[in-house]
Amino acid sequence: MSRAHLAKYFHVLEIPTEATLRDVQNAYLRLKRLYSDHSIVLAPLEEEFTDKKRLKVLEEIEEAYHKLLAGIHAEPPKAAALFPEESPGVPVEKNLENMAYSGVALRKVRERLGIDLNEIAKELKLRLDLLRAVEDERFEALPEEAYLKGHLKNYARYLGLNVDRVLEDYLGRYVAWKAKKPGLKR
Amino acid sequence: MTQAIKTAKEGEIWAVGGGKGGTGKTFLSSCLGTLLARKGRPTVLVDMDIGGANLHSFFGIERPHHSLTSFFEMGSQLSDLLVRTEIDHLSLITGDIHSIASDTIKFSQKLKLFRQIMKLNAQFVIIDLGAGSHLNTLDTFLIADKMIVVLAPEVIAIENMYHFIKNSLFRKVKQTLKEYGFKEIVQHIWDRRQNYGIRNLKELIDYLKDRFSYIGTILDNELANFRIYLILNQVRSKQDVLLGASIKSVLQKYLGVEILYVGAVEYNDAVWRSVRERKPFLLNYLSTGCAKDIETLGENILKEREIMMPGGSM
Repeated sequence: MSRAHLAKYFHVLEIPTEATLRDVQNAYLRLKRLYSDHSIVLAPLEEEFTDKKRLKVLEEIEEAYHKLLAGIHAEPPKAAALFPEESPGVPVEKNLENMAYSGVALRKVRERLGIDLNEIAKELKLRLDLLRAVEDERFEALPEEAYLKGHLKNYARYLGLNVDRVLEDYLGRYVAWKAKKPGLKR
Repeated sequence: MTQAIKTAKEGEIWAVGGGKGGTGKTFLSSCLGTLLARKGRPTVLVDMDIGGANLHSFFGIERPHHSLTSFFEMGSQLSDLLVRTEIDHLSLITGDIHSIASDTIKFSQKLKLFRQIMKLNAQFVIIDLGAGSHLNTLDTFLIADKMIVVLAPEVIAIENMYHFIKNSLFRKVKQTLKEYGFKEIVQHIWDRRQNYGIRNLKELIDYLKDRFSYIGTILDNELANFRIYLILNQVRSKQDVLLGASIKSVLQKYLGVEILYVGAVEYNDAVWRSVRERKPFLLNYLSTGCAKDIETLGENILKEREIMMPGGSM
């Protein structure tokens, strides 16, 4: 199995070609954050490293991420199998383009990225049962909408997903459930 | 110039620089020397911090008998100026040359110094550079096999370090093109940079590459070896450690130079205690996290590999 044709993209994300999907995800998030705002690392070069150049770097990072997601995802599980030169593999997000970000969809994305729920809980300092409730759509176990929104935002960002879309889809489902919920209305 | 000298070389040269003072260049140089010597590798430390030489005091040496002053003023041979340290296999050339201003060092003296550094009978020569981006500092940095930059996690140190690396690269580009007989072209274009719409070094290099394909080929070949070993010193958090990765990224994406982020060294009060005690740090504080970080980064420099980042691969 060769990843030679993806080397360019691994280089953009500054990771070795043997990187896992997980590494790709981490590198992408890290670099996107780095080049999205004016940190002390970029500030001294602001005049030379222009916004135009910065946006170009961001575009390259975005492109590399999607190509790698597609490429790695399309890899056969067995190393013996041949890796097609021009793989039509689909990035995680693209695959879900027509699917709403339900709890099930979120879990699928997470699992495909090889990210453990425990890890998210630890990194985001969230309770594990809360994250499980999000993915299981056990809405009754979730906190107030304002809090839920904050948690969802972090969770979506951690997975490298479009935060606005996740909020819209998921909160839409949550609100719909709440409206139907018998009993107390606040 | 450097090419001719390098062929007659004995050991491997490491130069430790980085622009700003107070980031721990001298401290880390002393530690790297100690590490290599304790592995049984004959090592010489050279203090090139002109005007602010104090590497000897990290080994408890009060007033060295010899120093680089004798080399510059009396024409002594560098190999006669070696001062022994209490560590086996480790000696030192002290730089107590307050009588010499960096500007007054002649070109011929500089060449002679470089030639004799290369000929020192040691497996490793570690050169501790002073602060700043003086031409003599840059030239010394560029003769090294391994160019090491020490940085502290704060804005001014980062700024100075960018400046230092940019200037080193610019100097290297000029030297390279000079060796190939294009001595004037870089300066000529740079002097008229406004006419060419060039604002900075990166754009100059891009312009040269774009305009003259043969120059592009030369620079690609020669700059392929331009590799910086980055050390982040005085880190206090995981965030600080990650800063090194960000700096690596920015330098690679902006200047196109290869950066190996070899290590992050934990901030530890034991360091200033050790400096005050005037004893080699690694001999007395080997069990501190700081010392472990230094051991790891020393191995990384030797083996040309990078730091393990918190939370997995970089």
